[in-house]
Amino acid sequence: MLESQLESLSRDAQARIAAALTPDALEAVRVEVLGRKGALAEISRGMGKLPPDEKKVIGKLLNEAKTQLEAALEARQNSFAAAALSARLDAEWLDVTLPAPGVRPGSLHPLTQIQQELEDLFTSMGAAVLDGPEVETEYNNFDALNIPADHPARDMQDTFWLEDNYVLRTHTSPVQVRGMAKLGPELLEHGTPLLMIAPGRVFRNEEVDPSHEHTFYQLEGMMVDKNVSIAHMLFFMKTLLTHIFKREVTVRLRPGYFPFVEPGFELDIQCLICGGPGCPVCKQSGWVELLPCGLVNPNVLRMGGLDPEVYGGFAFGLGLTRLVMMRYAIDDIRHLQGGDLRFLRQF
Amino acid sequence: MNFSYNWLRELVPTLSTEPSDLLRLMTLKTAECEGLEPVGEHFATTVAARVLTVEPISPGSHNRKATIDAGSLGLRTVVCGASNCRPGIVTAYAPPGTKFDKTDISRRIIEGVESDGMLCSAAELGINKDHEGIVELDAVPGTPLPALAPDHIIEVDNKSLTHRPDLWGHYGMAREVAAITACPLRDPVNPALVPTDPPAIKIANEDFTRCPRYSALVIDNVKIEDSPLWLQYRLQAVGLNPISNVVDITNYVMAELGQPMHAFDADKLDGDTIFVRNANDNERMTALNGESYHLTPAALVIADSAGPIALAGVIGGNDSAIGPSTTRIVFESANFHAANVRRTSMRLKLRTDASMRFEKSQDPANTTRGLARAVALLRRICPGIRIVGGLADLAAPPKDTPAIRLEMPWLIRKLGRDITAAEVRSILEALSFGVTESGPGVFTVTVPSWRATKDISIKDDLVEEIGRMIGYATITPVAPATPTVPPHDNPRRKAHRALRALVAAQGFDEVYNYSFLSEETAAHFGFAPEAHLKVLNPISSDQSLMRLSLIPGLWKNIQDNARHYDQFRLFEIGYEIHRKEGSLPDEVSHLAAAVYQKTKEQGPFFEAKRLAECILPGCELKPAEARAFEHPSRTADILWWGQRAGRIFEFHPNYVEGRAVLVDVNLGVVESLGAADKRYKPIRRFPSSAFDLSVVTLQRTLTGDIEKLLRQHAGPQLEALDFLRQYEGAPLAEGQKSVSFRLTIAAQDRTLSSEEVAAVRDNIISGMRSLGFDLRV
Repeated sequence: MLESQLESLSRDAQARIAAALTPDALEAVRVEVLGRKGALAEISRGMGKLPPDEKKVIGKLLNEAKTQLEAALEARQNSFAAAALSARLDAEWLDVTLPAPGVRPGSLHPLTQIQQELEDLFTSMGAAVLDGPEVETEYNNFDALNIPADHPARDMQDTFWLEDNYVLRTHTSPVQVRGMAKLGPELLEHGTPLLMIAPGRVFRNEEVDPSHEHTFYQLEGMMVDKNVSIAHMLFFMKTLLTHIFKREVTVRLRPGYFPFVEPGFELDIQCLICGGPGCPVCKQSGWVELLPCGLVNPNVLRMGGLDPEVYGGFAFGLGLTRLVMMRYAIDDIRHLQGGDLRFLRQF
Repeated sequence: MNFSYNWLRELVPTLSTEPSDLLRLMTLKTAECEGLEPVGEHFATTVAARVLTVEPISPGSHNRKATIDAGSLGLRTVVCGASNCRPGIVTAYAPPGTKFDKTDISRRIIEGVESDGMLCSAAELGINKDHEGIVELDAVPGTPLPALAPDHIIEVDNKSLTHRPDLWGHYGMAREVAAITACPLRDPVNPALVPTDPPAIKIANEDFTRCPRYSALVIDNVKIEDSPLWLQYRLQAVGLNPISNVVDITNYVMAELGQPMHAFDADKLDGDTIFVRNANDNERMTALNGESYHLTPAALVIADSAGPIALAGVIGGNDSAIGPSTTRIVFESANFHAANVRRTSMRLKLRTDASMRFEKSQDPANTTRGLARAVALLRRICPGIRIVGGLADLAAPPKDTPAIRLEMPWLIRKLGRDITAAEVRSILEALSFGVTESGPGVFTVTVPSWRATKDISIKDDLVEEIGRMIGYATITPVAPATPTVPPHDNPRRKAHRALRALVAAQGFDEVYNYSFLSEETAAHFGFAPEAHLKVLNPISSDQSLMRLSLIPGLWKNIQDNARHYDQFRLFEIGYEIHRKEGSLPDEVSHLAAAVYQKTKEQGPFFEAKRLAECILPGCELKPAEARAFEHPSRTADILWWGQRAGRIFEFHPNYVEGRAVLVDVNLGVVESLGAADKRYKPIRRFPSSAFDLSVVTLQRTLTGDIEKLLRQHAGPQLEALDFLRQYEGAPLAEGQKSVSFRLTIAAQDRTLSSEEVAAVRDNIISGMRSLGFDLRV
């Protein structure tokens, strides 16, 4: 009798568990069936009167029913929990395209970016990065670079003169002499070549228009060692420019006059736009004038405290402003120091 | 400097290189050529023609209908407006199809008459600037115009000739062309044309340094008139204005040999001596350009016994100028000291074709060559002349130009490629160097006089001569030895780089401002103009001072950008220039950053303060007295490790509309302070206790000061002191505020008992109360 009662109870409870629509309804079923005062407990209590062998059979059935019902109950509970979680997740929908709060990141000036890029490139090649003052003595800016007073080469660089015979440096070249004096003994006497760059702000007394500025940026470079040749300089410049332009470049040297080098060169690169046949960018010549360079004049080596009979070197001047303008196709140089965020935020 | 291709070919007669190829070769081997311009293309088709008839077209029109005989081209009808168009003259006729600079000639109807081409003025032909009437020629109708041919002008960048006095004339460039193309060079000078008789004029030279050589020759029976058209055309083509035959010859010699010359009217000279002397104080001279110049002894003059007749090497005087009635002339061909000519010309702001050449250090040997060439030309165009006496020539002893020792191994090492001794010799000889082989692989090289004045004196100069002639393209790049030690460190640059990245990450855009400032802006900011380093030759008055602060630059950026944006942040890292007695100024690197908000609400002070704390962790602000442009209640010094490292302030409303807060950090101070040594402190293993306290005080009591007091009273067990909030309003009295903090107390070695925590708290409360603060707990 108990056996069939248990069976029907179990069947009935299974059906009610399946039919429970809320966690509360399910809990009511659990209390009613599995609770301390529930139906199963009642059957269990009724078992005491049974003979031992029957008790054993019923006891086993009772345990089986209890296990099954508990499993069904847990499964149902889990499905409620899963439904609740997924409902919550759905309710937590976000418009991920809304703007993020807080300030937008700022930007570095394009000249800073190109300068840092070049500093990294040169440093990876073993170059020291040096600084020189923007206000220089007439001597450092000119005389020490083999441009004495009344030399017509002074016309090549319109100069801002300051009180006390100081000048705003017209080029980064004065750092050549400062660099040789500072690093020369340390490196060269130990048989290590001196390789240095000096990026910085330079000044020329020029009216400002879309292609002329009185304030612009150069990067001076110099290598000094015992046997430095034009062939070495060519290799260095070619490697350097290939990395700057991120593609193979063809270079050519032609005579150029700069008193602090001898021989002096203008270095042209084959036009990157047309590749040589000629186009408006290269004025149909196939070549674009890029930078002045040359073997360091012995007088300048002497000014830097080095013996030109022992040492030689090459030097070059890269126009950073020009590079920036080339890279980003900027058509008006005045933007660079105009402080206009509409321009600066593009970089 | 402009070079005529035809002129060069006259001096290198077998030259067959096309102008465009020559330009490329010259650029690669000698000097930068900037352009090639065809001139006189019209001479290819223009012919001489005789005017046969001239008849009016319509009343009131200056145009007339002319019939011309153009030789083999037959009879033509043209419309001509020139007043000198009359039957019988032979003129220049440009038939349809003739190319001129601006237009091509075509057949067209003018005032109802079909004009079959054009009769040309000298200006139209590019011979001179004469627009008055058509040219009148002595030529056979139908034949090309005599000695006038299409030409090409090669423009060479003057800067690339700075070191080459010899290239300021065609003959010098022709020497290069001859060497480049391996063609023979023809010397246009016949020195024998200058007689060696006793001179007809005396020279007295006071200063052989400033005038190393002065040569002169007197010529009589001169008739001043226009130069022949070929000569005018040649000068015009290279950019020199034709004036009269004698003046044109001096210019022709200058353009050909690079030797500036001058001609005086001999009859206008006072006395029989030309003096070369320094000007007297307050001496004046009226020059050929009509200007009167005030001279000092710094200038060298050419004078007769009455006074200056020329500014040496710069310009001639008006009183002794060649005029229409001149018949007797003195040709001057002299050599002047480069630096002195340059100084005089700079001081007087007078750059002339002569001064431009002399300042490059011309060759003293060239003076008599110039005279010989001038005599030849004058004979050709003014056949009746008579040379009076012989050459007057006063020269300093020629400068010693030591030979240069050139060793082949050294040369090869500099070039970075092999070259034979024979090649070296032939290159140098083609450029007129004297070469002797003094030992195996060792040359002794003598420098020609025209390269020896300044250009070439050391063996490195010869590397250039040889390198450019073999062609730099023949040198194969070779990897240099590279440094094997890490490069010298530059901590400042590294620090600036990190700083830039940090500030940009905080939302600031980087600007670059000029180093200049106007006196007006300086005054506007209350900076004394005299505190600034002055620019002596500013481009404009708003750039006359060197900046002593980055603030005015950012202020301008704020004004400009506020027109386009309601809020923004920007920064600059740059140098302040501080003048210093007796040495180069101090260039102090600063970082200045600004936050701008158009709204007038609370303003972005604390956004700016946050940046200061990012840059200088642990910095403190100390309210400071405001400068004119600073908000008097919102200005503070930024202290870092107790030192004044910067300033933070909101701009005074008189300076900025809206609110802008600026942080200005002295990176020099920051660099000198460096980062503090950090030391590990063991992580505490016992729990802490926290409690809140509110301090009631006057509204303007600084929270920072309250914090300091709380710390003092809390003692060593204070682990953290966090600001929670501040409150003003009821129930607090007017003028009071309550500032709340959370204090965390802990010990390293144990859990504090509640009694211990209470003791600390009570100590703080009683301590603060004894200082007059009211505490709410």
